[in-house]
This record gives sequence, C-alpha cells and structure tokens, in this order.
Amino acid sequence: MSTKLAAMILAGGKGTRLQALTKKVAKPAVSYGGKYRIIDFPLSNCANSGITCVGVLTQYESSELNTYVGNGEKWGLNGVRSLTSVLTPKQTDEGSNWYLGTADAIYQNIDWLDRVEPEYVLILSGDHVYSCTYDAMLKKTIDENSDCTIAVYPVAWEEASRFGILVTDKNDNITDFQEKPKKPISNLASMGIYIFPYKVLRAELIADAKDPASEHDFGKNIIPKMMAEKKKMVAYTYHGYWKDVGTVASLHQANMDLLITGDSTTNLYTVQGDNRIYSEDTHSSPQYIGPKAKLTDSLINQGAVVLGEVDHCVVSGETLIEEGASCKNSVIMNGAIIRKGALVEDSIIGPDTLIDTDEKVNLEHDGIALVVNGKAAQ
Amino acid sequence: MKDVIALLNCHNSPELGELTSSRPLASTSFLGRYAFADFALSNFCNSEIQNVGILVKDHQRSVLKHMGNMMSWVVNTKIGHETIFYNEKGQLNPAYNSDINNIKENDWVLYDSNASYIVFESAHIVLDIDLRPLIEEHKARGEAMTVVYKKIDDADAEFTHGHLYDIDDNGYVSAIHKNDGQKKTANVSLEIWIVNRTVLADMINRHQMVDAAFGMREMIGYLCKNKIIKVHAVEFKGYARCFDSLENYVKYSFELLDRNVAQQLFKPDWPIYTLTHDTPPALYGEKSAITNSFISNGCLIEGEVHDSIICRNVKIAKGAKITRSIILSNVSIGTLVTLSDVVIDKYSIVTARHTIAGDPANVIYLKQGAIL
Repeated sequence: MSTKLAAMILAGGKGTRLQALTKKVAKPAVSYGGKYRIIDFPLSNCANSGITCVGVLTQYESSELNTYVGNGEKWGLNGVRSLTSVLTPKQTDEGSNWYLGTADAIYQNIDWLDRVEPEYVLILSGDHVYSCTYDAMLKKTIDENSDCTIAVYPVAWEEASRFGILVTDKNDNITDFQEKPKKPISNLASMGIYIFPYKVLRAELIADAKDPASEHDFGKNIIPKMMAEKKKMVAYTYHGYWKDVGTVASLHQANMDLLITGDSTTNLYTVQGDNRIYSEDTHSSPQYIGPKAKLTDSLINQGAVVLGEVDHCVVSGETLIEEGASCKNSVIMNGAIIRKGALVEDSIIGPDTLIDTDEKVNLEHDGIALVVNGKAAQ
Repeated sequence: MKDVIALLNCHNSPELGELTSSRPLASTSFLGRYAFADFALSNFCNSEIQNVGILVKDHQRSVLKHMGNMMSWVVNTKIGHETIFYNEKGQLNPAYNSDINNIKENDWVLYDSNASYIVFESAHIVLDIDLRPLIEEHKARGEAMTVVYKKIDDADAEFTHGHLYDIDDNGYVSAIHKNDGQKKTANVSLEIWIVNRTVLADMINRHQMVDAAFGMREMIGYLCKNKIIKVHAVEFKGYARCFDSLENYVKYSFELLDRNVAQQLFKPDWPIYTLTHDTPPALYGEKSAITNSFISNGCLIEGEVHDSIICRNVKIAKGAKITRSIILSNVSIGTLVTLSDVVIDKYSIVTARHTIAGDPANVIYLKQGAIL
C-alpha cells in the first residue's frame, strides 16, 4: 500500500509528573474531559485530517493503552484502506531493544513505514490536548518543499524554558533551535509535531542510529543535526487551544478549560460531524441527577449519578456523588465514589477512588490535590 | 446458544400517539439514550444468542438507522449477525402485514441455519430477562412451545393491549384472551415465545387454512384452543412494562427516575447496549439547576430542568425552565421558555419566552421539527 501521509504517534512516555495517575497506565491513556483519554485528541485529529495509516508507538505500561487503541475502530481508523498499528518494542534478529528515544522509536519501525510507503510522515505526541487538522501543515510542507516542518505555538515568555524554542525569519524558515533553553531567545515553542518527507526522515534516522553519541531524540539530536546540515526547516504556527498536560495542575486546568466558564477554544459542541473528538462510547446507563442535587458550571458524562452538590467540576461516567457530598473545582474520574458528607475541593479524584463519608479533601486549597486509591473498585 | 434464532417482533407494537406516527415503537427514543429495541436486543446479547432477526412491520428506515450493522448488540462480530425480515407484500396489503406472514416471506432464514429453536420478543414490552434458563428448561422438558407471562394485580389498567393466559394445574396454557380490562389479577402475556423450528414451520403451513389474517398471537391462541399443541407457561417475576400509549410512555419513563425502580432495569450484570454517537459529555452553565432528571450526552444546559428526561444534543438556554417533560434529541429551547408536562419530538425549536403548559393527566406533544 502507499499513502500520502502516515502518522506516527509517540505514546511511550511515563508522564512521571502525573504521579499516581500514571502508576498503572501510560500518560496518553489518562482520563480527560469526563469521557476522553488524552490520546483521543491526536487520533481524532488524524481521522479528521483524512489520515488512514497511523502507527501508535507505546512502551511504558502499555497493555491498557494498546487495548484501548486496538485496531483504531474508536476513531474510524479501521475502514477500507486504513491501518492502525500499535507498535511496541520487539525482539528482532539483532536482539531486543527498548525504544531509546523518540527518534529511535521511529527508527525501529522503519520496516512498518516501508510497507506503508508514505510520501510524508507526521510525527505526533500522544499526550497533547488540541483539536485541529494537519491539512494546512502538510500543504505548507509541500508548497515550501521543506525537509522538516515543525508546528510551533507562541507560549508565555516565562514558560519558554520548558520547551524546545525556535527562531524564524519572516518567511517562517527556522534559523535557530534551542532545546529547553535557560535563556530563551524566542517564545515560539515546538509542539513536538513534525512533518518530514519520508525519504529525508528515513535517511536522518539511519544516520542517527549509527551515531553512538546520540540520544536518539528528535528535539535533542535530529532537529539540531538537520539545522547544522542547513536543511530546509520551516515553522508552521498553530493558532488555537493546545495544552501539554504534563502535571497534575495542568491536567486539572485543561479539564476546567472545557467548562462554559473555561477558556478552551476546543469546542466539544461544534456542529455534528465537524471535527468531532471520537472516543470510546461506553454502554453506561443514563446520567442521573438526583432530587436534591445542585449542579452548576460542570461537564458530566453518561453513567454518572449526581445526588449531591457539584460546582465547577468535570465528572466521568460510572461515578457516584452521594446526597450531602460536595465537589468543587475538581475532576472526578471514572468509577470514583464520593460518599455523603464528603467535601472535595481543588482536586483530581483518580479512577475508582473512594472518598469516604465526611472525608475532607484539600479544603485548605493547597494547590491541586491528587487522590488515587482504587478502593471504589473493591 | 448456537441452536437458537432470536426474533425481535415489531408487528404487535401499539402506537404511542403521534410519537410513533413516522417511526416504529422499536426505534422510538426512550430515557434519553435508548430505543425500545435495545432492551430485547440486549436480552438476546446477554443471553449469548448470536443469530438475531428483526421482524420489521413498517417505517424500516428508522429501524435500519438504529440497527446499523448490529455491531452494538453482538458478542462476536463475525459469528453474530442479524437479518432484517421485511414483508414486501404486507406493505401493499396491511391486513396481512403480520409477524407470521413476514416469517413466511423470509423463511429461508429458518432453513439456512441449524437452529432448532426460535425465540420471539416484542419491542414494546421492556424487561430484563435471561433467556438461557428458559430455553434450557424448554429443551429438557421436550416442549413444543414455551411462553412467558407475568402475574399482575392491576390488569384492568396495565397491559390493556395485551393478551391474558389461563393456565392449568400442570403449567400449560388452557386459554388465551384479549385483555378486556375486566379482571384485576391476571397472567399477562409478555409476548416471549420459545418455539421449536418444526412447530413454527407447522404453524406457517396451517396458517393459510386457519385464517390468513392471523398473526402469531392469534395462531398460538388457535392451537391452544383446539388442543393441537401444548403451550408451556413460565412465570417472570421481575420488572416489566408494556408501552402502549403516549400517556404510559410518559408515566413509565418518569417512573424510572426513581432510583429504586431504575435499579430493577439497569443492573451491573445486565448491560443495556445501544447505538452510540460520539457525543461529548453534558455541559452545564453557571446558573443551571437540575433535579431528578436523566440527561444525555451532547446536551448544553444553562437553564433549569426538573423531573424530566433530556435526550442527546439538546440545548437549553439561560432562564428556561423545564418541568415534568421529555425532550427528544437535537431540540433547542430558547431563553426564558417555560415548559411543563410536554413531550417535544426531535429537531424542534422553541424560541425565547414561550410558555407551554400541559398537565400531568394531559401531556402536550410537539411534533418533530416544530418551530415555535
């Protein structure tokens, strides 16, 4: 088979800063927005961009994520001429290797790409929340005849040192690149989204694999090397909502952004069929709001039972918030139970977590609290 | 259960007023996220029956849209399959558009499989029932036909469109009559029939000679009355409701807002499968106030909703107040609208500041696509 654009989604990271949330699942599989998992966003974006060949590269705690991705059916990526493959590290003739870095993960799947025969390859991160299509970015790559197009996003200057930072000329050609600089010279952050012509990418990956000094990472090795080789590097500026949900606080914030009072331009309620975000549709019973419930400014998924007070919250399915319980400014994940009299504020309550009768969570408003105990499943 | 074909019977469904004027009851919206057919189809799926047929009486577009390729209700997507039974002749001649004629028109399905038993369930009777022990008992006893009934004490008010069974001391049906509302305590038919394939083939053969306008219900009555076959009766003691009018549709829907009642229908070990739509979770505004209601995904609610059922993708603007109403999918309710005791069909728009007030005994129905 051959295809115009194949997508490779890097979904192998642990996401250490999400603490207990990623103890048993990889970060891309973490719950978001009441119904979704983070990886639904890049996968839906691929589907909405008309991409038919998607490789999902997994490594850390991959079984739940691999099962979830499956054959891509949840995003319609299982149609005719479509291919969704979960690509995990494997034993080969040369031995067995973990993925050593982002570039190595793609390098180890060159055979898969060779079979797919893409003209261009789109490299994505499995743990970013944003809704877009990649059509314009691909068009720019073709029009500019670029060797590598990098999506960039203007970030606040004080945050710039957390990202790979790009400097561009007035024609969007990239003139300089700094990986997580202490003193950033630009606020254009790399989103970790790249499009390469496959021929270029293939040659770069093979050369990088032979370099013993390389960390086999796109940001640290491939991009700087291509810059040094004076390859045609182009920036594509992304406008819209984009969030790297790397920490408990940023995951909480990204959830709150979805509320009516939030500031996300990721509108989940766009006209039907227009760049929707696809996900797993569970066979939950209808969402029920009880006779004494107080429910304001929240996002609630099917299967939730709200009998208590909920304000400024994102609540997943199969949850129970009992009468007399109160949740404010919190994320209540799948299967959690909040017993009567419990008060939860400024928190993320993890999957299947039990908050017991009269328990108080973070009433002192000490940042965003994370509670994960799995007791509701027992 | 490889030797069983399960048939969802849409032929005997009563009308739910105007709600079923352009769609069959089987695909009519129920509790926000279901269609009536989901309950029977989930019973088949949870009972591990893979070979399913749907006896479509009319409005097949609506049924086909909901069923799609049946992937939502089969355990194995290769082994499991559905057949749409559709009686072209019956469309031209409604008097003969019966379930038995439909099967006769499509009888290759019966001979195309190795199934020895056919199970019927009707779309308008909502219940959770594990068919496996009933089929096992039917086989073990070597019965020709087994039917399921429920003993109720208010047959003068419930199941009034249904049939009643007289049952003898040996557990066989001795007579079948229409429920004329005269009796309070009675055995009402749940329209679940387990029939041997040979017996069904014999019924189809006889049917022409008995009365070509008879349906399955009448044929079973005839066979019983004339002692041609023995019909074994099994009692069902769980929650079951017969949806037979718009009033009862509203009444039984609201009854399920009581969690104690809902838990009899929604059990963790008996999931109800339905067609899903990739709709986002329901979003509530800062001034929203919701009590005692079912709300579906895709809704955007900034107003008040009390004692109501709201289907997918309904928008309720600020200042609107909805009480004791059922709003079907894709309806928009404008600001400061007040609704009570209303059923609003799909794709309708109620613009700002309108008031529609029915009363609990006389619910107002707004038809599909109405603009007010």
